[in-house]
Amino acid sequence: MTDSIIEARGLNKWFHRGHANEHHALRDVDLTVQKGEVLVVIGPSGSGKSTLLRCLNFLAPPETGSVTFLGLTLTRENLPRFDVSARLAYEKRLRHFRTQMGMVFQHFNLFPHMTALDNVAAAPVRVLGMSRSDARARAVEELERVGIADKAKSYPSQLSGGQKQRVAIARALAMQPQLMLFDEATSALDPELIGGVLEEMKKLAEGGMTMIVVTHEMGFAREVGDRLIFMDGGHIIEQGAARDVLADPQKERTREFLRAIL
Amino acid sequence: MTVAYAFQWSVLRPAIGELWHGLRITLELSAASLVLALTLGLVVALLRMSSLRVVRAAAYVYIQVFRALSLYIYVLWIYFGIAGAVGINLSPLTAGVVALTVLNSAYMAEIYRSALGAVDPGQHEAAASLGFGRVRAFATVISPQAIRIAVPSLVNQFVDIVKDSSIIAIIGTSDLFGVTNRLVSYYRAPFELYTLVAFFYLSVVLVISALATFLERRLQRHLLL
Repeated sequence: MTDSIIEARGLNKWFHRGHANEHHALRDVDLTVQKGEVLVVIGPSGSGKSTLLRCLNFLAPPETGSVTFLGLTLTRENLPRFDVSARLAYEKRLRHFRTQMGMVFQHFNLFPHMTALDNVAAAPVRVLGMSRSDARARAVEELERVGIADKAKSYPSQLSGGQKQRVAIARALAMQPQLMLFDEATSALDPELIGGVLEEMKKLAEGGMTMIVVTHEMGFAREVGDRLIFMDGGHIIEQGAARDVLADPQKERTREFLRAIL
Repeated sequence: MTVAYAFQWSVLRPAIGELWHGLRITLELSAASLVLALTLGLVVALLRMSSLRVVRAAAYVYIQVFRALSLYIYVLWIYFGIAGAVGINLSPLTAGVVALTVLNSAYMAEIYRSALGAVDPGQHEAAASLGFGRVRAFATVISPQAIRIAVPSLVNQFVDIVKDSSIIAIIGTSDLFGVTNRLVSYYRAPFELYTLVAFFYLSVVLVISALATFLERRLQRHLLL
């Protein structure tokens, strides 16, 4: 497989909390994901996993480095600062970039003032310019796919955590993305609801979706993951085939982490 | 020594027609000030969050200046001060609406700003991750949530507008309080008339509060459960 869908080169990200307190969240990270691949990212909290995802879709633009996705390369440097029309063109490219890259969040981030159906239909209407009826038809399809079409008229506050996360997955899928990013999608769920959401993610992977999954679910990582990355302190410490790394980690830091959580 | 106060509740009967008329003017000028202050306040709030430092600073100064002094001073400054200096002749009612608008727009700008700041940052992220630009995200995702947060404070501000509108009677408007003052000097029954007018203001405030409760329930019915 040489058909890469996304490539990140030399990503560095700093968070500034005042002058003296600078946090280097991502250090010289390189990453390539092949089409159809499921890449699992594990590591202790604060290791840069979520930051990595946010750098890939430029929610948190990396200070250095580039992300190439579907033939389009974004860097922080090529953001035009003063030329207004160039800036608008850049933002248009960035929006297109993001429509092709779905993201599922730990805390769902559903729009609380919209029904489940409208949560899913909103971006197809407002961003892709679909007609309302087409977007609703697509939204119903996506809600059916994740098994909660019966909750289409419910508001997020009326749904359980597991149902919310399914709506969030449907919302991302409705844009028909090429790549899905999952940021600890099951970490905020009640234990008994985790399995159902992981099942949806597994179905998606089996359907051929390219996915980058930040997770603490080692069972899922072993079963569904093709490749695995272990991160600590903003570095990629170790990577390889998911089963191999989990069964026989090469680095002491990886062993330590896996011992602690298993 | 005590001087017996001669109550003359009977004056309220002939006075009430004029008081109704004054009430209508009070409601009209309060409503006009509300709409203008809501609009101007939103503009100021957006400027306050501009990415350009100069624009931000200007909005900040606007807010600080118009919150610093009392309505009483602004009414006199606009009606006598500006009118005299620049030669613009505003009617008392217009001057009153302008004063109420600028003062309250500064407060409303701050209400908007804190409401927009109170929307979960995850909402911005979710909208951006779906490809919403800033303007569309604001219109579709952020502002509907911010409005729900802001409504109680905006209603309080409207109550303040209605109450403060009595102050502009100082420049001779025929609003509820202006009418009352004239009736008081005509009938010489201050206790009776001021008591009655207090009930007028109280009723208006209670009606607004009731409407506000209804509005809040409606806006948040899917958030409560």
